[in-house]
Amino acid sequence: MSDRIEREVLLIASPEEVWAALTDPAWLESWLAEEVELELRPGGDARFRDGDVLRTGWVEEVSPPPARDDLAGHGGRLIFWWAASGEPASRVELTLDPAAHEGTVLRVVETRPLELLDLVGLPLPGTGGAGYGPALVAA
Amino acid sequence: MFGALADPTRRALLTAISDHPSATATELAAELPISRQAVLKHLTALADAGLLDRERSGREVRYRVTPEPLSDAVSWMTEVGGQWDERLAALGRQLGGPTA
Repeated sequence: MSDRIEREVLLIASPEEVWAALTDPAWLESWLAEEVELELRPGGDARFRDGDVLRTGWVEEVSPPPARDDLAGHGGRLIFWWAASGEPASRVELTLDPAAHEGTVLRVVETRPLELLDLVGLPLPGTGGAGYGPALVAA
Repeated sequence: MFGALADPTRRALLTAISDHPSATATELAAELPISRQAVLKHLTALADAGLLDRERSGREVRYRVTPEPLSDAVSWMTEVGGQWDERLAALGRQLGGPTA
């Protein structure tokens, strides 16, 4: 079980433009947090500062929008984990879907796992993606 | 349980109750732009989902948010949801799109 919030927004921009807004630190700093560092590879480090709040985390998945003739089934997906100091980590999944008239639907799902077992199979922070959940459970 | 939180009016109601414990339906209707009848319907849904406790006090029923950890889940969802609403509105302004 996990706590979960979900939002969807229609943006008048192509999936490629929205992807840039989700991954380019200069763009991210205009809407996500005041300072953003994001290492765009699975297991990469992530750091977000907003005023006094510093969130650190790691990247789980980086899937840019596919070329137009591709049938990937989604228009791009970025997943990262973040946690403010002393708080449990939560998972942020940002998914793009092309919409009519060159628009893009951005869906945000943030979940906070409540049980250790929910972490099985996920890359852990600071391990470059080499360490996975089962090691955590076995610990 | 979390299905009961899908409705924005219910989240607003929960936030109002956590700011104002032991509120009655009449008091809550005065704080929110909906009728007492609608407030009662949402309060029943939230209480049935285990998110609110009901306590009879004379002719009135008073409501409070169920103690931890459920109220922790509610405050997390209210806070995190509100943060995303602000971020997505900022992103929409940056990209020049209407926010839905």
